[in-house]
Amino acid sequence: MKYLLLTALVAISVFVGFIFSKKYKTRANFFQALVMLCQKFDVEINFSRERLKNIFLGLDEKQKRQLQGIDKNYIAYIDQEIPLEKDSLFKSIKFLKEDEKDLIFMFFKNLGRSDVDSQSKEVKNFQARFETLSSNALVENKKYGSLSIKLGIIAGLVIVVLLI
Amino acid sequence: MLKKILPSNIYEILEHKVNLGSINEIRLREDKPIVLLIGGQRIFLGNNGVTSNLKEAIRPSKIMIEDIIFRASECSIYSVNEQLKKGYLVTKGGIRLGIGGDLVEEGGKVKTMTNFSSLNIRLPHEVRNCSLPVFNNLLSEKGIFNTLIISPPGAGKTTFLRDFVCQLSERNYAYNVLVLDERGELDLGSSGSIGNFADKISFARKSIGFENGIRALSPNLIVTDELGQKEDIDAINFAINSGVSILASVHSDSMDSFLRKPNFDSLIKDRVFKRYVLLSMRNGPGTIEGVYNENFSRIM
Repeated sequence: MKYLLLTALVAISVFVGFIFSKKYKTRANFFQALVMLCQKFDVEINFSRERLKNIFLGLDEKQKRQLQGIDKNYIAYIDQEIPLEKDSLFKSIKFLKEDEKDLIFMFFKNLGRSDVDSQSKEVKNFQARFETLSSNALVENKKYGSLSIKLGIIAGLVIVVLLI
Repeated sequence: MLKKILPSNIYEILEHKVNLGSINEIRLREDKPIVLLIGGQRIFLGNNGVTSNLKEAIRPSKIMIEDIIFRASECSIYSVNEQLKKGYLVTKGGIRLGIGGDLVEEGGKVKTMTNFSSLNIRLPHEVRNCSLPVFNNLLSEKGIFNTLIISPPGAGKTTFLRDFVCQLSERNYAYNVLVLDERGELDLGSSGSIGNFADKISFARKSIGFENGIRALSPNLIVTDELGQKEDIDAINFAINSGVSILASVHSDSMDSFLRKPNFDSLIKDRVFKRYVLLSMRNGPGTIEGVYNENFSRIM
């Protein structure tokens, strides 16, 4: 019984570490998806001139997952179901810092409001900023992502040693 | 569609306190009273419906005007840039927004329009049977006479064209009709709007649309709106020489002023059009003033 309890404690510690590491991975994937979204916008705006809703609907499932529902919230805004506000846009997203939310909100707020040239320049400008955030998030993920799991394992083992 | 593009408070007033179906135009100018055109009469829009009191009129802000254009473009201004360059925007349901603002030129070409300051929202109407009084006058033994609909702006040219195409369909005249919808106004997208025997080419210049349409779709009749430019006349000649009949419209308020219009000399001299239908707003939009033959003699 005692060993079973200790095993459970280690498992819980590892799981907590995994949750922390997932946050970093999700952030990295999210910013990467934003960069890809900008690339897609740039192409669609310049060539097909497809409307925003159709661009969002045309994203592949993986990219939609990585965007953590922000695409669905924006479509709901286009369909006039919700206003475009920070709270509604980032409804299910907890891993972003306030300044990151401000930047992304600004990006979505300016979408579709100008002609092809201006919109394209604007998207490229945001893309550059998202690329910076994306590389920072990747570094963080490498640094702290695996570290969190390791710390979880160590913490679990320390607890086991202390209890024994 | 109007519900989607107008601010909810304005739409609610129009829906509940004004007869929405009777409105022809809604004019919004920055910080100026909103003006409605209803049955040829202009009247202000207030919070309690229509009003003749200037002080009670609602005055739209610049942001409101910009937002209406943004909504009308389905939140994608860049996708309608070609239309904006020409000063208008047509929504899916055929609502046409004439837009005032600053045109941006670069290298002698219009690049875009910005700084929007005014809007003329024209609401299309399907007036069933409006072409019926003259329908038989436009039919020949072989098919349909080349016909020109002449009217001042807002007097029902487009509505007439749309109904005529529908009447052909309803009477099972299985002509292959090509609707060249240069500004996206002819086809309202509703069921039966252009009948069962019509193909459509939208947002193409007449010169390109006529050539492509005749080659690809081999129509018997081409229906198009608002002739005016020299290249439109060349396109008409191309179609006539290809054996295709034409039903078109032109802006003018009388036969006399039409005969003085530049670019139309050759069409008039060669008697290309066999029928002219003159419309006015005398008894409201779509009033048929007369039908004329190729010699400009009144036949109805």
